[in-house]
Amino acid sequence: MAGEQRSRVPHQSRQDAAPSRLRGVRQRVLDGLGSARAALTERPVSLYAAAVLRGGYGFLFLALLLREFPHRDEMWGPGSAWTPALSAELSDETGFSSILALSDSPLYFEACYALAVVVTALFMLGWRTRATSVAFAVIVASFHSRAIFMTDGGDNLLLLMALYLCLTACGRRWSLDARRTRLRAASAGTKSPRVPAQLGIVRRQTTTVLHNCAMFVIAVQVAFLYGSAGLYKVQGSFWNDGTALHYVLNLDLFRPWPALSHMMDQQTMFIAIAGYMAVLIQVGFPFVLFSKAKYVVLPMLLGMHLMIAVLLGLPFFSGAMIVADAVFLSDGFFTFLAGLWGRAGRSALASRQSGASAELPGSVVPAQYRADGVTVGPESSAVRGTSGQVSSP
Amino acid sequence: MHVAPPNSISKRYTEKIDAWVLPLFEQNWQLFAPNPESVNQQISARTGRISKNGTSEVSRWVDLSAMDASAVRHSVFPSHTAQNMLRRAWTSYVQEHGGDDRSHSDRARMMKEYLRNIAANRIAGDRHGTFDTIQLRVVTKRIPPPAPGGSDSRPNGRVSHETRYLPWWKVATHGR
Repeated sequence: MAGEQRSRVPHQSRQDAAPSRLRGVRQRVLDGLGSARAALTERPVSLYAAAVLRGGYGFLFLALLLREFPHRDEMWGPGSAWTPALSAELSDETGFSSILALSDSPLYFEACYALAVVVTALFMLGWRTRATSVAFAVIVASFHSRAIFMTDGGDNLLLLMALYLCLTACGRRWSLDARRTRLRAASAGTKSPRVPAQLGIVRRQTTTVLHNCAMFVIAVQVAFLYGSAGLYKVQGSFWNDGTALHYVLNLDLFRPWPALSHMMDQQTMFIAIAGYMAVLIQVGFPFVLFSKAKYVVLPMLLGMHLMIAVLLGLPFFSGAMIVADAVFLSDGFFTFLAGLWGRAGRSALASRQSGASAELPGSVVPAQYRADGVTVGPESSAVRGTSGQVSSP
Repeated sequence: MHVAPPNSISKRYTEKIDAWVLPLFEQNWQLFAPNPESVNQQISARTGRISKNGTSEVSRWVDLSAMDASAVRHSVFPSHTAQNMLRRAWTSYVQEHGGDDRSHSDRARMMKEYLRNIAANRIAGDRHGTFDTIQLRVVTKRIPPPAPGGSDSRPNGRVSHETRYLPWWKVATHGR
């Protein structure tokens, strides 16, 4: 980077006519690089999408923790069939570690559980987000590894996202942090710099670069997820002959509403078309992302995931996928949604309008991502095993 | 490369790839793929004990899968303990053991213990009484292909079932 700048200065003082065209090209390249660099270091992308991911995954994990509360010992506690001893033996093999493994005491487990609920709630709301995001990732990884043989695709995705989100500035929008910053700015007029200006710049640029790279990684991750899920399906005979969904609808454990599943199963034409569409959309997903076509595909995927959530009884999995798709929506889209929401909220709450109620839309992120129409591929969970198993045959 | 099927590149670099990916970034997106399951497993368990007068008593079969299925039925948010626990324990067991019930690796032994513990915990929670041994029976029910014409795809009775009995396993600490 230093090299670019040095070469730009002498270039202006030279006056050779012959290589002027060449210089023009070089200048344009350098300008391009310069603006790319500025974009990377100065402009954090998709802050709203990052906030939706934070709120969405926080909400989902909180929902999981609360839903499994009656089963918490069976899943993650010392009384689990996957005993602490078995878990420790597997950890030695895979290198996965868990804060839950530190003690077999039921009391310690309950404390961890309570901590997990609190941290997850704070993370969802965006309170001291950088710190809570790291704590959230540690907790998700700990619970995941403790119950690794009970996880499915949704848990897998949640873990990956929790790790990536640590690096993003996911607390800048729609969060308690954002609210605090706003209030402080309003009361103090200007923000008093607590750190030396130079350090502040380094810090801002570092977080921006990290954020932009992490958001890119998240987008690539989701694209890979769909692409590989689709390509695996292409190899399946049931997906080829259009009967795959028939089998899916007849799995006892993924049929919470048997009458509904049976009714769907009768529609053989629909089953075949929906099956082909699922494969097509998944395989094509990485390619439509760069065009406006994504605004057609994302709602289709949202519809499919909602069906999966209801028909197959996989709301957690579907929710994780729906939230992941939010990464592809622009800030403009989210501010537009927020505007709609704000207007609707204002007219509804017109009577008791106050300054504080303007903050409300931010904390209700989960409702927003639900409304935004972003979802993705269908599927359920067939994550095979744990680490060693999957990668080393 | 981690999600790609084994190929010449991933074989050569598998160690380097795994060093970066495992354990935290492991992933597998074979969601209902390459084919969705086309069978339902009905896993049942029964227990045995030696009574005071020295005779051995064997309980009736308890259908553990039916317990899971009924927990899932009419639930908006089914628990992982119903949808994933026994189901994945069994697939992992089969993956490690194949058709043979002797455990030839550490992982296989671990999966055997896990499966046994799940069954023992369920039985112990379901009814009172002690037991020293437990046996599992797994009935694999093939889902019939859709009827041509699509008028009715209801299973018409000609369903092929396959039954596998696992050996009796000692349970040391469960069910007391």
